[in-house]
Amino acid sequence: MKKITMALTMIVAMSLAATVGCSNKEAAPTDGTGTPKAAEFNVSLRHINVRDTSKPHQDILLEAVKAAESALPGVKYELDGVEDTVNRDTKLKAEMAAGNPPIIFDLFGGPDTQNYQKAGHLLDLTPILADLGLSDKFINLGEFTVDGKVYGLPRSGYTEGVFYNKTMFADAGVAVPKTWDEFLAVCEALKGKNIVPIASGTGGPDGWVVNMIANSLFVREAGKEVQEGFVNGTSKWNDPKVIESFKKLETLKTKGYLDKSALALKYAEGQAKFYQGGAAMTMDGSWAVSAFEDKEKSKIAGNVGFFNFPEVGGPGDGYINGGFSNGYGFSNHANENELKGIKEFIKQYYTEALQKKALLTANDFPAMKLQDTSGTTGVLNEVLSVTNEAKGIFTAFDSVVQPKVKVTLETTMQELIGGKVTPEKAAEKMQKIQDEANAEK
Amino acid sequence: MNKVLRNPWAYALFVIPALLMYIAIYILPLLSSLQHSFTNWNGINEATFNGLDNFKKAFTDDKFWIAFKNNIIFVLFSAFVQIPLIIFISMVISGVTKNLNFYKTTVFLPSILSTAVVGTLWQFIYHPDVGLINQLLRACGLESWTHAWLGEETTAFLSILITNSWQWFGFYIVLLLAAIFSVPKELLEAAEMDGAIGFKRSWFITIPIIRPVILVIMLLAITGAMNSLDIVLIMTYGEPFGSSEVMGTYLYKQAYKFNDFGYASAISIIIFAFTVLVTVIFQWIAKRTEEVEH
Repeated sequence: MKKITMALTMIVAMSLAATVGCSNKEAAPTDGTGTPKAAEFNVSLRHINVRDTSKPHQDILLEAVKAAESALPGVKYELDGVEDTVNRDTKLKAEMAAGNPPIIFDLFGGPDTQNYQKAGHLLDLTPILADLGLSDKFINLGEFTVDGKVYGLPRSGYTEGVFYNKTMFADAGVAVPKTWDEFLAVCEALKGKNIVPIASGTGGPDGWVVNMIANSLFVREAGKEVQEGFVNGTSKWNDPKVIESFKKLETLKTKGYLDKSALALKYAEGQAKFYQGGAAMTMDGSWAVSAFEDKEKSKIAGNVGFFNFPEVGGPGDGYINGGFSNGYGFSNHANENELKGIKEFIKQYYTEALQKKALLTANDFPAMKLQDTSGTTGVLNEVLSVTNEAKGIFTAFDSVVQPKVKVTLETTMQELIGGKVTPEKAAEKMQKIQDEANAEK
Repeated sequence: MNKVLRNPWAYALFVIPALLMYIAIYILPLLSSLQHSFTNWNGINEATFNGLDNFKKAFTDDKFWIAFKNNIIFVLFSAFVQIPLIIFISMVISGVTKNLNFYKTTVFLPSILSTAVVGTLWQFIYHPDVGLINQLLRACGLESWTHAWLGEETTAFLSILITNSWQWFGFYIVLLLAAIFSVPKELLEAAEMDGAIGFKRSWFITIPIIRPVILVIMLLAITGAMNSLDIVLIMTYGEPFGSSEVMGTYLYKQAYKFNDFGYASAISIIIFAFTVLVTVIFQWIAKRTEEVEH
């Protein structure tokens, strides 16, 4: 018993000593020159640069972090890399629900930003931007703006269109199609040569992939205003023009133009099928340029072309899908030090030099207005020129409609290309969910 | 020392930390889910009370019932396909005299892998273009037998069941082998002298003796099947068209894809109630059969 008592006493004494040691405030440490060393503090930073193909983005982020750590003594940015879908759909949502998001985090514009702002978790960046002289430096902050205040900053912009394998097009003797009929003729010619016309990995959680095609189709058919119309009730998913767009998507599957494995593959697998030379075309965003032009992985690097989605004879012809929805948000629960860390990060990350670097090394569309955009090569040049030639840009539908509508369109389009629903039934189902979501406002 | 043990506070000192943890990570979340199951809540903004709406929705939601049915299939597959096979293989391995440890290690290996690894590994095996199964079929000239295994309604869920069985086979087999080897040799020798050899010996002697272990394995397999989530999320995400959905994945999607945390909480309560029910029924059946045998 004595031994036990002694042991317990020792443990308590040691614990107390350790606690006292931790809280004992000694003289402030110096940096070696006699100048008092700044108190150290951490700032958590959630990013999504976890794939091999994200290395250029990661390098740019690290450069900015290093610069910020040098400029602001004491700060240490704790980087936390999470896969993009997991971050957006699971991790960040759970953190927001618990009210403890990271201090700096990857954020989507549109409904995500609106919801988190409404819950009071997003820092109003308007005064910081004014302070840093950045207020008018961005091309478009619309997707991160709520009631005139800015709650996030886009890293880059993007456009979506059709990437194609130039060799396969030449082998099949086809040219870049301008209209839907020409597009179908190209698909038929490729299929005749035993080439998979369109690669797509849209199975499981990646229903959004096929929606890049669906989105362009229903905007082509019904005009770019149709998206806002779904939310404010002026247009309907079961309008004949929207149904026609669903029919066109269905045609791609029934005629065997869309890869028959599309529903069994994930996004990265579908993308790989295209850059490994397993298909002639794929609908993707400009963010994919890095993967297509990566000489180590891509068999078609230097041999990729890009064209705007074909015209269908509707009011949305000539427009291109694009936006500035991927960026960083900042916690409204940051303390004084963390706020300094946020401000320094913004100052170092959102510079013309890094935006230019992102354009040249990561093939990122600049989110800021750049004086000099020279030096781009390969398919990125084509993406830039096709975007410049477009009649205008329309925002992706998922930046406009409510999250449940977005997810329902993903599963419904999977069902449509899987032959589980007709275009009419799909449209009805979408309108029902849209009505429910609109009623919840 | 005895003095310490006679003091009830000494016991409390040991029990309270574990009890606090149990309350924090089990009881409180359960109560919180119960509370939110009666609300309309997007997980971020203020929750609003909506009575039994979420439960009513669940009982009229076709997709939820597909998930429910798949859980039942998962349980039945575990109980009537997986467990008998495990017993059979354990019996065969227990009869092996040479290299027993090699066989034990080989069958046990998959269970040391995480579900994420197993799911990803089998995704490669089931891959429609470069997967092992389709390549073998093509090599045998059976192109028409190839499938997009995880992308077709008819094959997706079965593919998951097979993968799940493969992962846990070894774990259960090693448990059963330990039970089989603990059967007294004298008993087996006596049975052999009475003419019980081979299948007869297994059926009439070994299996009744190792019955408690079999029941534990069944209980583990059934509760595992009821709570399945990770393997489905990784392999098919409940797709195509919700055909491989289980209640866990459906709950997950309602919460994190649809932002409907109220409905997701209601589903979690239904899963909890159903798992308790299945476990109670199983225990009751186990007890009844035990009584009959005695």
